[in-house]
Amino acid sequence: MAPRPDWQTQVERLGFAFHTIDGETYWDESTAYAFTLDEIERDIEAPSEAIEQLCFAFIEKALASDEILTKLAIPAAHWDFIRESWQRGDRNLYGRLDLAYDGRGPAKLLEYNADTPTALFESSVVQWDWLEQAMARGALPAGCDQFNSLHERLIAALGQLREPSPYRLHLTCVQNSNEDKGTVDYLMDCAVQAGLDARFTFVEEIGLLSDGRFCDGANQPIETLFKLYPWEWLFRERYAGNLATSRCQFIEPPWKAILSNKGLLACLWDMEPDHPNLLPAFFEGDPRCSGLSPRHVRKPLYSREGANITLIERGQVLDQDDGPYGAEGFILQDAAPNLFGSARHYAVLGSWLVASQACGLCVREDASPITKNTSRFVPHYIEA
Amino acid sequence: MKRSTQIGLAAAGVLLVATYWGRSGSPDQSEDSLVYNSLAECRAGGRLTSTQCDQRFREASANHLRDAKKFTSTSACETEYGSGSCQSAVWNGAPVIVPALAGFMLARSLAQGGGAAQPLLPPTRQAFPPGSQAPECQQARSSSGGGGGGGGYGGGRSSSRAYSTTSGAALVARSGTASGVATTSTTSRGGFGSTARSYSSSSSS
Repeated sequence: MAPRPDWQTQVERLGFAFHTIDGETYWDESTAYAFTLDEIERDIEAPSEAIEQLCFAFIEKALASDEILTKLAIPAAHWDFIRESWQRGDRNLYGRLDLAYDGRGPAKLLEYNADTPTALFESSVVQWDWLEQAMARGALPAGCDQFNSLHERLIAALGQLREPSPYRLHLTCVQNSNEDKGTVDYLMDCAVQAGLDARFTFVEEIGLLSDGRFCDGANQPIETLFKLYPWEWLFRERYAGNLATSRCQFIEPPWKAILSNKGLLACLWDMEPDHPNLLPAFFEGDPRCSGLSPRHVRKPLYSREGANITLIERGQVLDQDDGPYGAEGFILQDAAPNLFGSARHYAVLGSWLVASQACGLCVREDASPITKNTSRFVPHYIEA
Repeated sequence: MKRSTQIGLAAAGVLLVATYWGRSGSPDQSEDSLVYNSLAECRAGGRLTSTQCDQRFREASANHLRDAKKFTSTSACETEYGSGSCQSAVWNGAPVIVPALAGFMLARSLAQGGGAAQPLLPPTRQAFPPGSQAPECQQARSSSGGGGGGGGYGGGRSSSRAYSTTSGAALVARSGTASGVATTSTTSRGGFGSTARSYSSSSSS
Protein backbone atom coordinates (compact mmCIF):
# COMPACT_ATOMS: atom_id res chain seq x y z
CA MET A 1 0.00 0.00 0.00
CA ALA A 2 1.12 3.54 -0.60
CA PRO A 3 1.86 5.32 2.68
CA ARG A 4 -0.15 8.46 3.32
CA PRO A 5 1.85 11.28 1.70
CA ASP A 6 1.82 13.14 5.02
CA TRP A 7 2.06 10.06 7.24
CA GLN A 8 4.61 11.64 9.55
CA THR A 9 2.34 14.62 10.21
CA GLN A 10 -0.62 12.30 10.66
CA VAL A 11 1.04 10.08 13.25
CA GLU A 12 2.67 13.01 15.02
CA ARG A 13 -0.69 14.69 15.52
CA LEU A 14 -1.52 11.70 17.74
CA GLY A 15 1.59 12.37 19.78
CA PHE A 16 3.52 9.43 18.29
CA ALA A 17 7.10 10.56 18.80
CA PHE A 18 9.12 7.45 17.96
CA HIS A 19 7.89 6.56 14.46
CA THR A 20 11.53 6.73 13.39
CA ILE A 21 14.18 5.20 15.64
CA ASP A 22 17.88 5.95 15.14
CA GLY A 23 17.14 7.19 11.63
CA GLU A 24 15.34 3.98 10.63
CA THR A 25 11.62 3.75 9.94
CA TYR A 26 9.80 2.02 12.79
CA TRP A 27 6.20 2.79 11.86
CA ASP A 28 5.94 1.32 8.35
CA GLU A 29 2.62 1.69 6.55
CA SER A 30 3.95 0.74 3.14
CA THR A 31 2.69 -2.75 3.98
CA ALA A 32 -0.40 -3.91 5.83
CA TYR A 33 -1.46 -7.39 6.89
CA ALA A 34 -4.97 -8.54 6.02
CA PHE A 35 -6.80 -11.12 8.12
CA THR A 36 -10.23 -12.67 7.86
CA LEU A 37 -12.46 -12.43 10.90
CA ASP A 38 -12.23 -16.21 11.18
CA GLU A 39 -8.45 -16.12 11.30
CA ILE A 40 -8.56 -13.50 14.05
CA GLU A 41 -11.17 -15.21 16.19
CA ARG A 42 -10.20 -18.83 15.66
CA ASP A 43 -6.42 -18.60 15.26
CA ILE A 44 -5.42 -15.58 17.39
CA GLU A 45 -8.10 -14.57 19.89
CA ALA A 46 -9.22 -17.97 21.17
CA PRO A 47 -5.71 -19.48 21.43
CA SER A 48 -4.43 -16.37 23.22
CA GLU A 49 -7.01 -16.73 25.94
CA ALA A 50 -6.39 -20.47 26.09
CA ILE A 51 -2.65 -19.84 26.56
CA GLU A 52 -3.43 -17.33 29.30
CA GLN A 53 -5.51 -19.94 31.14
CA LEU A 54 -2.70 -22.46 30.76
CA CYS A 55 -0.33 -19.86 32.20
CA PHE A 56 -2.57 -19.42 35.23
CA ALA A 57 -2.54 -23.18 35.79
CA PHE A 58 1.23 -23.07 35.54
CA ILE A 59 1.49 -20.27 38.13
CA GLU A 60 -0.43 -22.42 40.61
CA LYS A 61 1.96 -25.26 39.94
CA ALA A 62 5.10 -23.12 40.06
CA LEU A 63 4.23 -21.36 43.31
CA ALA A 64 3.92 -24.74 44.99
CA SER A 65 7.25 -25.95 43.66
CA ASP A 66 10.59 -24.66 44.89
CA GLU A 67 12.18 -26.65 42.09
CA ILE A 68 10.35 -24.72 39.37
CA LEU A 69 10.98 -21.34 40.99
CA THR A 70 14.68 -22.23 41.17
CA LYS A 71 14.71 -23.26 37.51
CA LEU A 72 13.13 -19.93 36.62
CA ALA A 73 16.02 -18.20 38.44
CA ILE A 74 13.69 -16.23 40.69
CA PRO A 75 15.55 -15.24 43.88
CA ALA A 76 14.23 -17.26 46.82
CA ALA A 77 13.95 -14.11 48.92
CA HIS A 78 11.00 -13.03 46.77
CA TRP A 79 9.04 -16.27 46.54
CA ASP A 80 6.67 -15.35 49.35
CA PHE A 81 6.19 -11.87 47.92
CA ILE A 82 5.13 -13.45 44.62
CA ARG A 83 2.97 -16.11 46.27
CA GLU A 84 1.13 -13.48 48.32
CA SER A 85 0.40 -11.36 45.26
CA TRP A 86 -1.16 -14.38 43.55
CA GLN A 87 -3.14 -15.47 46.62
CA ARG A 88 -4.45 -11.92 47.12
CA GLY A 89 -5.58 -11.95 43.51
CA ASP A 90 -3.61 -8.84 42.52
CA ARG A 91 -5.01 -7.85 39.15
CA ASN A 92 -2.94 -7.58 36.03
CA LEU A 93 -3.19 -4.94 33.35
CA TYR A 94 -1.72 -6.21 30.12
CA GLY A 95 0.65 -8.48 28.26
CA ARG A 96 1.65 -9.45 24.74
CA LEU A 97 1.92 -12.98 23.42
CA ASP A 98 4.31 -13.19 20.49
CA LEU A 99 3.04 -15.71 17.98
CA ALA A 100 4.24 -17.32 14.78
CA TYR A 101 1.39 -17.56 12.30
CA ASP A 102 1.26 -17.71 8.53
CA GLY A 103 -2.47 -18.32 8.07
CA ARG A 104 -1.94 -22.09 7.85
CA GLY A 105 -2.51 -24.07 10.99
CA PRO A 106 -2.45 -22.99 14.62
CA ALA A 107 -0.48 -20.02 15.85
CA LYS A 108 2.59 -21.01 17.90
CA LEU A 109 3.72 -19.22 21.04
CA LEU A 110 7.22 -17.79 20.65
CA GLU A 111 7.26 -16.01 24.00
CA TYR A 112 5.10 -14.11 26.45
CA ASN A 113 5.94 -10.48 27.21
CA ALA A 114 3.91 -10.53 30.37
CA ASP A 115 5.67 -7.87 32.40
CA THR A 116 6.93 -4.90 30.39
CA PRO A 117 5.55 -5.00 26.85
CA THR A 118 5.86 -1.95 24.61
CA ALA A 119 4.51 -1.25 21.10
CA LEU A 120 1.26 -0.50 22.93
CA PHE A 121 0.49 3.03 21.76
CA GLU A 122 1.15 2.26 18.12
CA SER A 123 -1.04 -0.85 18.42
CA SER A 124 -3.89 0.85 20.22
CA VAL A 125 -4.01 4.28 18.59
CA VAL A 126 -1.73 4.75 15.59
CA GLN A 127 -2.83 1.69 13.61
CA TRP A 128 -6.47 2.38 14.56
CA ASP A 129 -6.26 5.88 13.12
CA TRP A 130 -4.41 4.53 10.08
CA LEU A 131 -7.33 2.21 9.31
CA GLU A 132 -9.93 4.97 9.76
CA GLN A 133 -8.04 7.16 7.34
CA ALA A 134 -7.39 4.33 4.88
CA MET A 135 -11.12 3.65 4.66
CA ALA A 136 -12.01 7.35 4.52
CA ARG A 137 -9.76 7.95 1.52
CA GLY A 138 -10.74 4.74 -0.21
CA ALA A 139 -7.36 2.99 0.06
CA LEU A 140 -9.20 0.16 1.80
CA PRO A 141 -12.81 -0.83 1.20
CA ALA A 142 -15.49 0.36 3.59
CA GLY A 143 -16.43 -2.10 6.29
CA CYS A 144 -12.91 -3.21 7.18
CA ASP A 145 -12.19 -3.66 10.84
CA GLN A 146 -9.23 -4.26 13.14
CA PHE A 147 -8.59 -6.55 16.09
CA ASN A 148 -8.00 -3.67 18.44
CA SER A 149 -10.22 -2.58 21.28
CA LEU A 150 -7.08 -1.91 23.35
CA HIS A 151 -7.91 1.69 24.13
CA GLU A 152 -11.32 0.94 25.58
CA ARG A 153 -10.11 -2.13 27.44
CA LEU A 154 -7.14 -0.34 28.97
CA ILE A 155 -9.31 2.47 30.35
CA ALA A 156 -11.81 -0.01 31.76
CA ALA A 157 -9.10 -2.23 33.24
CA LEU A 158 -7.16 0.65 34.81
CA GLY A 159 -10.32 1.73 36.61
CA GLN A 160 -10.72 -1.74 38.09
CA LEU A 161 -7.21 -2.63 39.19
CA ARG A 162 -7.78 -1.49 42.73
CA GLU A 163 -10.70 -0.96 45.11
CA PRO A 164 -11.99 1.54 45.88
CA SER A 165 -11.63 3.25 42.53
CA PRO A 166 -10.76 5.92 41.55
CA TYR A 167 -7.44 5.63 43.30
CA ARG A 168 -4.06 7.30 42.96
CA LEU A 169 -1.79 5.62 40.41
CA HIS A 170 1.90 6.30 39.97
CA LEU A 171 3.50 5.33 36.68
CA THR A 172 7.22 4.87 36.18
CA CYS A 173 9.86 4.01 33.61
CA VAL A 174 13.57 4.64 33.13
CA GLN A 175 15.02 7.92 31.98
CA ASN A 176 16.42 8.24 28.47
CA SER A 177 14.07 5.89 26.65
CA ASN A 178 11.64 7.59 24.30
CA GLU A 179 9.88 4.33 23.60
CA ASP A 180 9.29 3.49 27.26
CA LYS A 181 8.26 7.05 28.09
CA GLY A 182 5.86 7.07 25.15
CA THR A 183 4.25 3.87 26.41
CA VAL A 184 3.90 5.19 29.95
CA ASP A 185 2.60 8.56 28.76
CA TYR A 186 -0.11 6.76 26.85
CA LEU A 187 -1.10 4.61 29.82
CA MET A 188 -1.17 7.73 31.96
CA ASP A 189 -3.57 9.29 29.48
CA CYS A 190 -5.77 6.20 29.74
CA ALA A 191 -5.56 6.31 33.54
CA VAL A 192 -6.78 9.91 33.62
CA GLN A 193 -9.68 8.93 31.37
CA ALA A 194 -10.46 6.16 33.84
CA GLY A 195 -10.83 8.91 36.43
CA LEU A 196 -7.62 8.06 38.29
CA ASP A 197 -5.25 10.49 39.98
CA ALA A 198 -2.29 9.59 37.76
CA ARG A 199 1.24 10.78 38.46
CA PHE A 200 4.52 10.07 36.73
CA THR A 201 7.92 9.54 38.28
CA PHE A 202 11.11 8.10 36.80
CA VAL A 203 12.35 4.80 38.26
CA GLU A 204 15.57 6.52 39.30
CA GLU A 205 13.60 9.12 41.30
CA ILE A 206 11.80 6.62 43.49
CA GLY A 207 12.69 7.01 47.13
CA LEU A 208 11.99 5.22 50.38
CA LEU A 209 10.03 6.86 53.19
CA SER A 210 10.76 6.31 56.87
CA ASP A 211 7.54 4.32 57.18
CA GLY A 212 8.67 1.78 54.59
CA ARG A 213 6.64 3.03 51.67
CA PHE A 214 8.15 4.10 48.36
CA CYS A 215 7.71 7.70 47.26
CA ASP A 216 7.92 9.64 44.02
CA GLY A 217 10.29 12.47 43.18
CA ALA A 218 8.04 14.90 45.09
CA ASN A 219 8.05 12.62 48.18
CA GLN A 220 4.44 11.64 47.58
CA PRO A 221 3.87 8.09 48.91
CA ILE A 222 3.35 5.47 46.22
CA GLU A 223 0.36 3.23 46.88
CA THR A 224 -0.17 1.78 43.43
CA LEU A 225 2.66 1.66 40.92
CA PHE A 226 2.60 0.85 37.23
CA LYS A 227 6.23 0.03 36.48
CA LEU A 228 7.53 -0.40 32.97
CA TYR A 229 10.58 -1.96 34.56
CA PRO A 230 11.13 -5.70 34.81
CA TRP A 231 10.62 -7.68 37.99
CA GLU A 232 13.88 -9.55 37.56
CA TRP A 233 15.72 -6.24 37.85
CA LEU A 234 13.62 -4.93 40.76
CA PHE A 235 14.36 -8.22 42.56
CA ARG A 236 18.11 -7.62 42.33
CA GLU A 237 18.47 -3.90 43.04
CA ARG A 238 19.12 -2.00 46.25
CA TYR A 239 15.46 -1.60 47.21
CA ALA A 240 14.66 -5.26 46.53
CA GLY A 241 14.39 -5.97 50.24
CA ASN A 242 11.85 -3.17 50.65
CA LEU A 243 9.40 -4.47 48.04
CA ALA A 244 7.42 -6.78 50.31
CA THR A 245 7.07 -4.21 53.10
CA SER A 246 6.22 -1.25 50.87
CA ARG A 247 2.42 -1.76 51.09
CA CYS A 248 2.40 -0.93 47.38
CA GLN A 249 0.20 -2.61 44.80
CA PHE A 250 2.34 -3.21 41.74
CA ILE A 251 1.21 -3.37 38.14
CA GLU A 252 2.11 -5.69 36.62
CA PRO A 253 1.76 -7.73 39.83
CA PRO A 254 4.73 -9.74 41.18
CA TRP A 255 3.23 -13.02 39.94
CA LYS A 256 3.88 -11.87 36.37
CA ALA A 257 7.55 -12.62 37.12
CA ILE A 258 6.63 -16.30 36.66
CA LEU A 259 5.40 -15.64 33.13
CA SER A 260 7.85 -13.04 31.83
CA ASN A 261 10.57 -15.63 31.79
CA LYS A 262 11.45 -17.83 28.85
CA GLY A 263 11.65 -20.79 31.19
CA LEU A 264 7.86 -20.56 30.94
CA LEU A 265 8.06 -21.99 27.42
CA ALA A 266 9.80 -25.15 28.61
CA CYS A 267 7.46 -25.45 31.59
CA LEU A 268 4.30 -25.09 29.49
CA TRP A 269 5.52 -27.72 27.05
CA ASP A 270 6.27 -29.99 29.99
CA MET A 271 2.69 -29.51 31.25
CA GLU A 272 0.97 -29.81 27.88
CA PRO A 273 3.20 -31.60 25.39
CA ASP A 274 1.71 -31.49 21.89
CA HIS A 275 -0.50 -28.49 22.72
CA PRO A 276 -1.37 -27.09 19.27
CA ASN A 277 -0.21 -23.56 20.16
CA LEU A 278 3.08 -24.50 21.82
CA LEU A 279 6.47 -25.34 20.35
CA PRO A 280 8.62 -28.06 21.91
CA ALA A 281 10.98 -26.42 24.40
CA PHE A 282 13.32 -27.56 27.18
CA PHE A 283 15.78 -26.04 29.58
CA GLU A 284 19.31 -26.27 28.20
CA GLY A 285 20.97 -29.37 29.59
CA ASP A 286 17.72 -31.35 29.73
CA PRO A 287 18.41 -34.69 27.97
CA ARG A 288 15.15 -34.25 26.07
CA CYS A 289 16.79 -31.42 24.10
CA SER A 290 18.17 -34.10 21.79
CA GLY A 291 14.62 -34.65 20.58
CA LEU A 292 14.31 -31.08 19.31
CA SER A 293 14.29 -30.37 15.62
CA PRO A 294 17.69 -29.61 14.06
CA ARG A 295 16.44 -26.08 13.53
CA HIS A 296 15.92 -24.56 16.94
CA VAL A 297 16.41 -21.41 18.94
CA ARG A 298 18.45 -20.77 22.08
CA LYS A 299 16.95 -18.11 24.33
CA PRO A 300 18.16 -16.74 27.66
CA LEU A 301 15.62 -16.91 30.51
CA TYR A 302 15.69 -13.14 30.68
CA SER A 303 16.08 -11.25 27.46
CA ARG A 304 14.47 -8.26 25.85
CA GLU A 305 13.99 -7.26 22.24
CA GLY A 306 15.70 -10.31 20.81
CA ALA A 307 18.95 -9.82 22.73
CA ASN A 308 21.19 -12.91 23.02
CA ILE A 309 18.85 -15.12 21.03
CA THR A 310 20.50 -17.59 18.67
CA LEU A 311 18.92 -19.51 15.78
CA ILE A 312 20.67 -22.80 15.17
CA GLU A 313 20.31 -25.28 12.30
CA ARG A 314 22.15 -28.58 12.49
CA GLY A 315 24.68 -27.08 14.85
CA GLN A 316 25.29 -24.03 12.67
CA VAL A 317 24.43 -20.58 13.99
CA LEU A 318 22.16 -18.96 11.38
CA ASP A 319 21.30 -15.76 13.17
CA GLN A 320 22.03 -14.28 16.53
CA ASP A 321 21.68 -11.08 18.40
CA ASP A 322 24.36 -10.00 20.84
CA GLY A 323 23.41 -8.66 24.18
CA PRO A 324 23.99 -8.65 27.90
CA TYR A 325 21.66 -11.49 28.93
CA GLY A 326 22.15 -15.15 29.63
CA ALA A 327 23.70 -15.36 33.10
CA GLU A 328 20.60 -17.09 34.47
CA GLY A 329 20.53 -19.87 31.89
CA PHE A 330 18.89 -20.72 28.59
CA ILE A 331 16.09 -22.68 27.03
CA LEU A 332 16.05 -24.35 23.64
CA GLN A 333 12.87 -24.16 21.56
CA ASP A 334 12.02 -25.59 18.16
CA ALA A 335 12.07 -22.93 15.46
CA ALA A 336 8.50 -22.17 14.47
CA PRO A 337 7.65 -23.89 11.20
CA ASN A 338 4.95 -21.33 10.49
CA LEU A 339 6.75 -18.02 10.97
CA PHE A 340 5.40 -15.75 8.26
CA GLY A 341 8.23 -15.06 5.87
CA SER A 342 8.79 -13.66 2.43
CA ALA A 343 11.90 -12.97 0.39
CA ARG A 344 12.21 -9.62 2.10
CA HIS A 345 11.34 -10.18 5.73
CA TYR A 346 9.76 -12.16 8.54
CA ALA A 347 6.74 -11.17 10.60
CA VAL A 348 5.82 -11.93 14.19
CA LEU A 349 2.34 -11.31 15.55
CA GLY A 350 1.82 -9.74 18.95
CA SER A 351 -1.47 -10.72 20.51
CA TRP A 352 -2.49 -8.31 23.24
CA LEU A 353 -4.21 -9.25 26.44
CA VAL A 354 -5.78 -6.62 28.67
CA ALA A 355 -6.91 -7.92 32.06
CA SER A 356 -6.27 -11.37 30.54
CA GLN A 357 -8.71 -10.82 27.67
CA ALA A 358 -7.39 -11.00 24.11
CA CYS A 359 -8.31 -7.70 22.48
CA GLY A 360 -5.68 -6.55 20.02
CA LEU A 361 -3.04 -7.42 17.50
CA CYS A 362 0.19 -5.95 16.24
CA VAL A 363 2.54 -7.13 13.53
CA ARG A 364 6.26 -6.51 13.54
CA GLU A 365 8.51 -7.23 10.61
CA ASP A 366 12.22 -7.84 10.62
CA ALA A 367 14.75 -8.72 7.97
CA SER A 368 15.87 -11.65 10.12
CA PRO A 369 13.87 -14.41 11.85
CA ILE A 370 14.65 -12.88 15.26
CA THR A 371 12.49 -9.88 16.03
CA LYS A 372 14.68 -7.18 17.53
CA ASN A 373 14.40 -3.62 18.63
CA THR A 374 15.12 -2.67 15.02
CA SER A 375 11.97 -4.35 13.78
CA ARG A 376 9.28 -2.33 12.03
CA PHE A 377 5.70 -1.98 13.19
CA VAL A 378 3.24 -2.74 10.38
CA PRO A 379 -0.54 -2.12 10.65
CA HIS A 380 -3.19 -4.78 10.08
CA TYR A 381 -6.86 -4.90 9.19
CA ILE A 382 -9.72 -7.37 9.06
CA GLU A 383 -11.18 -7.70 5.61
CA ALA A 384 -14.70 -6.41 4.98
CA MET B 1 -16.82 -4.39 15.52
CA LYS B 2 -13.53 -5.60 16.93
CA ARG B 3 -11.96 -2.19 17.35
CA SER B 4 -12.44 0.67 19.80
CA THR B 5 -15.36 2.94 19.01
CA GLN B 6 -13.55 6.10 19.97
CA ILE B 7 -10.15 7.24 21.15
CA GLY B 8 -9.53 10.33 23.20
CA LEU B 9 -5.98 11.50 23.90
CA ALA B 10 -5.44 14.32 26.32
CA ALA B 11 -1.77 14.81 25.53
CA ALA B 12 -2.44 15.26 21.84
CA GLY B 13 -5.79 16.93 22.42
CA VAL B 14 -7.65 14.71 19.97
CA LEU B 15 -10.89 12.83 20.15
CA LEU B 16 -11.28 10.29 17.37
CA VAL B 17 -14.56 8.57 16.70
CA ALA B 18 -14.74 5.39 14.65
CA THR B 19 -16.76 5.47 11.50
CA TYR B 20 -19.21 2.65 11.51
CA TRP B 21 -19.56 1.47 7.95
CA GLY B 22 -22.71 -0.42 7.26
CA ARG B 23 -22.54 -3.04 4.55
CA SER B 24 -24.15 -0.70 2.06
CA GLY B 25 -24.19 2.61 3.84
CA SER B 26 -22.21 5.55 2.67
CA PRO B 27 -19.89 7.09 5.20
CA ASP B 28 -19.85 10.52 6.59
CA GLN B 29 -16.60 11.86 5.20
CA SER B 30 -16.19 14.76 7.56
CA GLU B 31 -13.15 14.78 9.79
CA ASP B 32 -14.77 17.13 12.29
CA SER B 33 -15.09 15.93 15.79
CA LEU B 34 -18.74 15.77 16.61
CA VAL B 35 -18.56 17.30 20.02
CA TYR B 36 -20.63 20.43 20.45
CA ASN B 37 -20.67 22.71 23.45
CA SER B 38 -24.08 24.15 22.79
CA LEU B 39 -27.06 24.09 20.54
CA ALA B 40 -25.80 27.28 18.89
CA GLU B 41 -22.45 25.67 18.10
CA CYS B 42 -24.19 22.68 16.55
CA ARG B 43 -26.31 24.94 14.34
CA ALA B 44 -23.33 27.07 13.38
CA GLY B 45 -21.31 23.97 12.53
CA GLY B 46 -23.46 23.32 9.50
CA ARG B 47 -22.98 19.56 9.69
CA LEU B 48 -26.46 18.89 10.98
CA THR B 49 -29.62 20.77 10.10
CA SER B 50 -31.09 23.09 12.65
CA THR B 51 -33.87 20.58 13.30
CA GLN B 52 -31.38 17.77 13.83
CA CYS B 53 -29.40 19.93 16.22
CA ASP B 54 -32.54 20.69 18.20
CA GLN B 55 -33.41 17.01 18.37
CA ARG B 56 -29.90 15.91 19.39
CA PHE B 57 -29.70 18.61 21.98
CA ARG B 58 -33.04 17.59 23.47
CA GLU B 59 -31.83 14.00 23.66
CA ALA B 60 -28.62 15.05 25.35
CA SER B 61 -30.52 17.21 27.81
CA ALA B 62 -32.91 14.37 28.66
CA ASN B 63 -30.06 11.87 29.03
CA HIS B 64 -28.15 14.41 31.05
CA LEU B 65 -30.83 14.65 33.68
CA ARG B 66 -31.32 10.89 33.68
CA ASP B 67 -27.63 9.91 33.85
CA ALA B 68 -25.86 12.71 35.71
CA LYS B 69 -24.96 12.09 39.33
CA LYS B 70 -27.54 13.75 41.59
CA PHE B 71 -26.61 15.75 44.66
CA THR B 72 -28.71 17.12 47.46
CA SER B 73 -26.68 20.30 47.79
CA THR B 74 -24.80 22.65 45.50
CA SER B 75 -21.73 22.47 47.70
CA ALA B 76 -21.56 18.67 47.43
CA CYS B 77 -21.83 18.89 43.66
CA GLU B 78 -19.25 21.68 43.45
CA THR B 79 -16.86 19.69 45.60
CA GLU B 80 -16.80 17.15 42.82
CA TYR B 81 -17.21 19.30 39.72
CA GLY B 82 -15.86 22.68 40.74
CA SER B 83 -17.30 26.03 41.58
CA GLY B 84 -20.05 27.25 39.25
CA SER B 85 -20.32 23.88 37.49
CA CYS B 86 -23.64 22.76 38.91
CA GLN B 87 -27.29 23.55 38.39
CA SER B 88 -30.57 22.79 40.08
CA ALA B 89 -33.11 20.54 38.42
CA VAL B 90 -36.16 18.48 39.19
CA TRP B 91 -35.86 14.72 38.93
CA ASN B 92 -38.79 12.41 39.64
CA GLY B 93 -40.60 15.28 41.26
CA ALA B 94 -37.80 16.07 43.68
CA PRO B 95 -35.35 18.96 43.58
CA VAL B 96 -31.77 17.86 42.88
CA ILE B 97 -28.44 19.45 42.03
CA VAL B 98 -26.59 18.04 39.02
CA PRO B 99 -23.41 18.99 37.18
CA ALA B 100 -24.38 21.26 34.30
CA LEU B 101 -24.58 20.02 30.74
CA ALA B 102 -21.26 21.06 29.23
CA GLY B 103 -21.74 19.75 25.75
CA PHE B 104 -22.80 16.72 23.79
CA MET B 105 -21.11 14.16 21.68
CA LEU B 106 -22.34 12.22 18.66
CA ALA B 107 -20.84 9.14 17.13
CA ARG B 108 -19.91 10.46 13.73
CA SER B 109 -21.95 8.12 11.59
CA LEU B 110 -24.89 8.26 13.95
CA ALA B 111 -25.20 12.01 13.66
CA GLN B 112 -27.62 11.86 10.74
CA GLY B 113 -29.55 8.82 11.74
CA GLY B 114 -30.41 7.11 14.99
CA GLY B 115 -28.37 6.91 18.12
CA ALA B 116 -28.71 9.12 21.14
CA ALA B 117 -26.48 12.07 21.80
CA GLN B 118 -24.21 11.56 24.78
CA PRO B 119 -24.26 14.38 27.32
CA LEU B 120 -20.93 15.75 28.54
CA LEU B 121 -20.35 17.26 31.95
CA PRO B 122 -17.77 19.71 33.28
CA PRO B 123 -14.45 18.08 34.19
CA THR B 124 -14.19 16.79 37.71
CA ARG B 125 -11.98 18.53 40.23
CA GLN B 126 -10.20 15.26 40.68
CA ALA B 127 -9.05 15.27 37.08
CA PHE B 128 -8.51 19.04 37.11
CA PRO B 129 -7.45 20.13 40.57
CA PRO B 130 -7.98 23.81 41.32
CA GLY B 131 -4.72 25.68 41.22
CA SER B 132 -3.11 23.25 38.83
CA GLN B 133 -0.74 24.89 36.40
CA ALA B 134 -1.60 22.58 33.53
CA PRO B 135 -3.08 24.73 30.75
CA GLU B 136 -6.06 22.42 30.23
CA CYS B 137 -6.90 22.69 33.89
CA GLN B 138 -6.77 26.44 33.89
CA GLN B 139 -8.91 26.52 30.83
CA ALA B 140 -11.34 24.04 32.29
CA ARG B 141 -11.69 26.01 35.48
CA SER B 142 -11.79 29.49 34.06
CA SER B 143 -14.31 28.64 31.40
CA SER B 144 -16.43 26.70 33.82
CA GLY B 145 -19.79 28.03 34.85
CA GLY B 146 -22.53 26.33 32.91
CA GLY B 147 -25.71 26.66 34.86
CA GLY B 148 -29.11 27.31 33.40
CA GLY B 149 -31.02 24.64 31.63
CA GLY B 150 -28.71 23.39 28.97
CA GLY B 151 -26.35 26.30 28.91
CA GLY B 152 -23.11 26.00 27.03
CA TYR B 153 -19.86 25.17 28.72
CA GLY B 154 -16.57 26.55 27.58
CA GLY B 155 -15.84 29.17 25.01
CA GLY B 156 -14.01 28.89 21.74
CA ARG B 157 -12.95 25.71 19.98
CA SER B 158 -9.84 24.52 21.63
CA SER B 159 -7.99 21.31 20.87
CA SER B 160 -7.69 20.39 24.51
CA ARG B 161 -11.00 20.98 26.14
CA ALA B 162 -11.92 18.96 29.14
CA TYR B 163 -15.12 17.14 29.96
CA SER B 164 -16.27 14.25 32.02
CA THR B 165 -18.89 11.73 31.06
CA THR B 166 -21.92 10.80 33.14
CA SER B 167 -20.15 7.57 34.03
CA GLY B 168 -17.35 9.62 35.58
CA ALA B 169 -14.62 9.20 32.98
CA ALA B 170 -12.52 12.18 32.01
CA LEU B 171 -12.51 13.01 28.34
CA VAL B 172 -9.60 14.83 26.70
CA ALA B 173 -8.06 15.84 29.95
CA ARG B 174 -4.67 16.00 31.56
CA SER B 175 -4.03 15.19 35.14
CA GLY B 176 -2.92 17.87 37.55
CA THR B 177 0.59 18.28 38.79
CA ALA B 178 -0.25 19.48 42.26
CA SER B 179 1.41 17.28 44.80
CA GLY B 180 0.32 16.70 48.34
CA VAL B 181 2.39 17.18 51.43
CA ALA B 182 4.11 14.09 52.70
CA THR B 183 4.16 13.76 56.46
CA THR B 184 6.87 11.13 56.45
CA SER B 185 10.44 11.83 55.59
CA THR B 186 12.40 10.34 52.74
CA THR B 187 15.25 8.22 54.01
CA SER B 188 16.87 7.47 50.69
CA ARG B 189 16.45 7.70 46.95
CA GLY B 190 17.70 5.91 43.88
CA GLY B 191 17.35 2.31 45.00
CA PHE B 192 15.92 1.30 41.63
CA GLY B 193 17.25 1.73 38.13
CA SER B 194 20.78 0.40 38.50
CA THR B 195 20.27 -2.55 36.15
CA ALA B 196 18.98 -0.28 33.40
CA ARG B 197 22.10 1.85 33.75
CA SER B 198 24.35 -1.18 33.39
CA TYR B 199 22.53 -2.45 30.29
CA SER B 200 22.52 -0.59 27.04
CA SER B 201 19.38 -2.25 25.75
CA SER B 202 15.82 -1.48 26.69
CA SER B 203 14.05 -2.43 29.89
CA SER B 204 10.90 -3.18 27.96
CA SER B 205 9.97 -5.54 25.22
